[in-house]
Amino acid sequence: MSSKPKSKLLKKDTRSDLITYAMVLVAFAVVEIIQATGSMTSLMRGLLVPLCMYSILAVSLNLVVGILGDLSLGHAGFMCVGAYASSIFSVCTRETIENPWIRFPIALLIGGICAAIFGILIGIPVLRLKGDYLAIVTLAFGEIIKNILCSIYVGYDSKGIHMSFESESSLGMEMDGKLIINGPLGINGTPTDSNFIVGIVLLLITLFVVLNFIHSRAGRAVMSLRDNRIAAESVGINVTKYKLIAFSLSAFFAGIAGVLYSHNLNVLAATSKNFGYNMSIMILVFVVLGGIGNIRGSIIAACVLTALPEVLRDLKDYRMLMYAIVLIVMMIITSSPKLVSFREKYGLRQFIKTKMANRWTKEVQ
Amino acid sequence: MALLEAENLSITFGGLKAVDNFNVKIEKGTLYGLIGPNGAGKTTVFNLLTGVYKPTEGKATLDGTVITGKRTIDINKAGIARTFQNIRLFSQMSVIDNVKVGLHNIYKYSTASGIFKLPSYFKKEAEMEKRAMELLDVFDLGSERDYLSCNLPYGKQRKLEIARALATEPKLLLLDEPAAGMNPNETAELMDTIRFVRDKFDMTILLIEHDMRLVAGICEELTVLNFGQVLCQGKTSEVLQDPKVITAYLGE
Ligand SMILES: Nc1ncnc2c1ncn2[C@@H]1O[C@H](COP(=O)(O)OP(=O)(O)OP(=O)(O)O)[C@@H](O)[C@H]1O
Ligand SMILES: [Mg+2]
Repeated sequence: MSSKPKSKLLKKDTRSDLITYAMVLVAFAVVEIIQATGSMTSLMRGLLVPLCMYSILAVSLNLVVGILGDLSLGHAGFMCVGAYASSIFSVCTRETIENPWIRFPIALLIGGICAAIFGILIGIPVLRLKGDYLAIVTLAFGEIIKNILCSIYVGYDSKGIHMSFESESSLGMEMDGKLIINGPLGINGTPTDSNFIVGIVLLLITLFVVLNFIHSRAGRAVMSLRDNRIAAESVGINVTKYKLIAFSLSAFFAGIAGVLYSHNLNVLAATSKNFGYNMSIMILVFVVLGGIGNIRGSIIAACVLTALPEVLRDLKDYRMLMYAIVLIVMMIITSSPKLVSFREKYGLRQFIKTKMANRWTKEVQ
Repeated sequence: MALLEAENLSITFGGLKAVDNFNVKIEKGTLYGLIGPNGAGKTTVFNLLTGVYKPTEGKATLDGTVITGKRTIDINKAGIARTFQNIRLFSQMSVIDNVKVGLHNIYKYSTASGIFKLPSYFKKEAEMEKRAMELLDVFDLGSERDYLSCNLPYGKQRKLEIARALATEPKLLLLDEPAAGMNPNETAELMDTIRFVRDKFDMTILLIEHDMRLVAGICEELTVLNFGQVLCQGKTSEVLQDPKVITAYLGE
């Protein structure tokens, strides 16, 4: 009786994961083909790395919003930490480690780990609270980080590291001094190690880690907290531990996205456009529109909503109107009960479920 | 020595003595009933025993170790599992995943081996899968394993909650109104299941119930609570004859 669906479940999870990986690989192949035929506009080419970056951000935020069930509005803050930490490293070691194949992976680890540490530091006090406190504190964190990095001057010389919040000259560096962070002008001269292939590889790694995490013992523990914290505690799930794991893992990949971002441009500056709360909200919009808890949906939403304004550029003033219409249509598709039931009725997964349901009713009669 | 001993357990909510000087001794292997009118403090006793509330006074020991003051998760690890009066399943997770969460501390592997799919992941997951199916089959839930737990009919949700609690391999199982909302057929079936669980898992069970047929049918001993205080305690047949109990239930 129970042996038949057994193999099905294992397959169902893995099959769904494989579809997600395949989707990314197909998108990659299509882009490569378009590039090879030379019909890609420079506008589109400039979008490739951001598309990967937004996808990584959306997938990692979904871990907190969809799997852990907490609202975080500071994702851009973690991205900012990752971007700055890795850029500082890359600028400082540009001459010593010339090989980008060595330098960039280290930069990635540094960016990710620094962001994860911030995730833990913020998570420890905040994740104990319930309700909207997390949203408020993470929102504040994102803004504070951005503003601090926007006004700090850091440099080093033979005497060591200098730091100031006033101006470059107040650092008082020796002649051999080198400026790293130049206040609102940010960091200059980050090697541009990012490219589309790197972005795709990082997206695949993110997917691999996040999807495997969700299907593991730890992922189930995190989801049980989302569904019913009291029941989870009653079966011995450590609330703080698993909330922190999910939160810091999410921050880690936000940091990775930050590294991708900062190594895609020569100049890195913290502005409200790239690391402000608008960005955090936009990532949240990707997650919500893609379907909360739906990893594949996050990627699709991130790509559609990032590419759309650029593709519609020709429409000039009607651009934002179209954007709004697409937003509304997507929202209806992902959440209208009628359409959801339509999808479920005609979706493959539901087909299997209905068959099982029929069998069950037969057994009862 | 008794498996569970509670001594003078008391808790006050803003002046209301919800549980007052609760004493009980439950021997290993007993099917023990806790009954009383609405608001008598039965669920509060469960919450005290599982660390959801800290008692203002008194202590409880399980198998000789003091459990009062411990965290809920440590009490579960020490050997108490429970179900809830208003069902608390992991509603957006599948039936089998609900049980697997219950097996969390039984089959362990690290988060990293889960992410990188190391050999221990496959080994432990296979063991977990097997054990979870065994438990589901005890409650005749095997064929619904892939359903979202919120889509199960009510009676099956109650059973799944028991399966999840049993998955943690407790010494003592607390059931809060397991028959609530069930029809007489389902209740009769549930009585058989509870007896079966006691025998098969060699379990000690403390259950709260309003259905007197179920209580009289399966409980060997009873404690009657009224307004937070123990009204009567002892063998089921004797307790149910007690005039005090009859008045408490039927009124003057
Ligand atoms: N957290 C709380 N804060 C304040 N009062 C509480 C709390 N929990 C329970 N009470 C009160 O304690 C008393 C006992 O409640 P409890 O839920 O234990 O009753 P019960 O015997 O389980 O009743 P029922 O049969 O209706 O489930 C009630 O008067 C209730 O209002
Ligand atoms: Mg109750």
